[in-house]
Amino acid sequence: MPSPICLRSLSQLSLDRAANVSITSRTLLAPQTACFSTSAARYAAPPSKRKGMVAPPKRGERTLNVKKGRKAPSADTGKRPAPGDRKAMRKRIVLTNDNALEVSSLKDLDKATALSEKNEGQVRGLPEQVVDALRAVEAFKTTQGWSLFRRPATLMRKETIQLAKLLKEVEDPVDGQQKKTLRRVLSGDRMSGKSTLLLQGLAMAFLRDWVVINLPEAQDITNAHTDYAPLPSSQTQQYTQDTYTATLLSQILKANLKFLEATPVTTNPPLPLPLPAKPTLKHLAELGIANPEASWPVFVALWQELTQPGHPPIMLAIDGLSHIMRNSEYLSADVKPIHAHDLTLIRHFVDHLSGAKPLPNGGIVLAATSQSNAPTSPALDYCVQVAEAMQSHPDNIPHWNPYKNVDQRAMDVLKDLLVPGSGGAKGLDVIRVGGLSKQEARSIMEYYAESGMLRAKVDDGFVSEKWSLAGMGNIGELERVSVRLRI
Amino acid sequence: MVFIFGINFNEASLVKRSLESFYGIGPKVSQRIMARFHIHPWAKVGTLKNTTVMDLTAELSNMKIENDLRREVQDNIRRLRDMGSYRGRRHAMGLPVRGQRTRTQITTARRLNKIERGGTGRIQM
Repeated sequence: MPSPICLRSLSQLSLDRAANVSITSRTLLAPQTACFSTSAARYAAPPSKRKGMVAPPKRGERTLNVKKGRKAPSADTGKRPAPGDRKAMRKRIVLTNDNALEVSSLKDLDKATALSEKNEGQVRGLPEQVVDALRAVEAFKTTQGWSLFRRPATLMRKETIQLAKLLKEVEDPVDGQQKKTLRRVLSGDRMSGKSTLLLQGLAMAFLRDWVVINLPEAQDITNAHTDYAPLPSSQTQQYTQDTYTATLLSQILKANLKFLEATPVTTNPPLPLPLPAKPTLKHLAELGIANPEASWPVFVALWQELTQPGHPPIMLAIDGLSHIMRNSEYLSADVKPIHAHDLTLIRHFVDHLSGAKPLPNGGIVLAATSQSNAPTSPALDYCVQVAEAMQSHPDNIPHWNPYKNVDQRAMDVLKDLLVPGSGGAKGLDVIRVGGLSKQEARSIMEYYAESGMLRAKVDDGFVSEKWSLAGMGNIGELERVSVRLRI
Repeated sequence: MVFIFGINFNEASLVKRSLESFYGIGPKVSQRIMARFHIHPWAKVGTLKNTTVMDLTAELSNMKIENDLRREVQDNIRRLRDMGSYRGRRHAMGLPVRGQRTRTQITTARRLNKIERGGTGRIQM
């Protein structure tokens, strides 16, 4: 049994703390409790840990963390862009630069002079309504340098004049026969201006009041990013792309509004939906835009209307040809890849490119290849090489490499390229987009200088230097070395 | 919000991803199902037509997925254990089953090789 003195001294310890300073300083840290009672301490809130005090790591635990991805959640409070904002920013087309100077000597293309050969080697501006139409058909690309200058203008180079001659040939056939359908594949090095040449072709067609249908990017049609559905009543199974076709119809409508508004529907197309009374082609297109599930029948009906006699010639164009000369990313019901030619829109284009279907009112089918965004398509590459060789050195035609897989359907479409003979006779040919001549380079560099984007005296030496730097006048490189690159 | 096979999916989510959230559907199977109903790989659940959603649900209800599949797998493992086979014992111990070494690196086996393999699912078994 404990002695009573001991008990008393213990009780006094806590009661008069002030009397005993040395003990108090220690006990103050502990929660104040009555003697021999633990309940208060038990029910009290746990003492808050001091910040920054972390227990030492356990043995064997790794404390050095140098991996990049494992960081603690950093204070990333930045606002995320709304859905669609990033894509809109990526696809934004800027066609003006307020800081560039207005070029006083710049003349616009107009309807009368658009196809004139006098334009060769000159820089010509694009009129406003043509710019709007080109924007509607998405002919401008983000990679092109439109945002460097006050307003869109293009160099009418040798190949452009070649294309202008074709337009002229279609408009008034020489021997007064039926209207011609000319088919051209644009080929050339990377950044040599194939897409821009396509754009110039579209611009001239707009100026001459043609009907322009442009498939802006073949990749978008075949890379399985839009919905698809089997087309009923097609012998070999074909697939429609309703949303894409509806978008295309709206582009066609926006670009060719004047013609479509003025032209009444003459045939009686079988459509799943009724047309309003006294319909024009505009009503027809709007029907397809409003009801994407009916967009393919509407497109077929619209095409039939456009090919009625007496209507203007048609410009049918596509960019990125190699994407449609292979299997698409879509899958059929039995999980086999669908060939791009089984997509109705592509089939429509390819039928006209191969010459299986002519354009009754005449017209041009243009297909631009790409060098920077081009999946391998040995058939296309071979056909283009052969056609180029037949133009430049007909005694040395390349042979097919038997170790490559041939896509027979692509080969069949392009087989006209392999036929020896001039381009006019067989209808399908290649326009090789090469480097600029020095005169053309000088003319475009003078335009750069007048816009204030090139601060140098444009003389023969300077032009030759830049022309050589740009790999013998590759126009994309020329723009890069003279306008974009400032040392 | 769209119901596929009784589960609610956000309209902005991909069809592929939604299908693959079911136990027993991976990339290949989801690709096959989507190709069968002509749904493109980047389709969002919100863009599907009602009929397609019904078709998908019908297709999924004919397949052995989710709890049925879990049950089958677990039954297979249970059978091995009840026979007292080596594989069954290894499963019961949570150790590698197919003769791998156990000196190091058996975390995957510890995670997966158990009788209740596949968990209990969104809807309790």
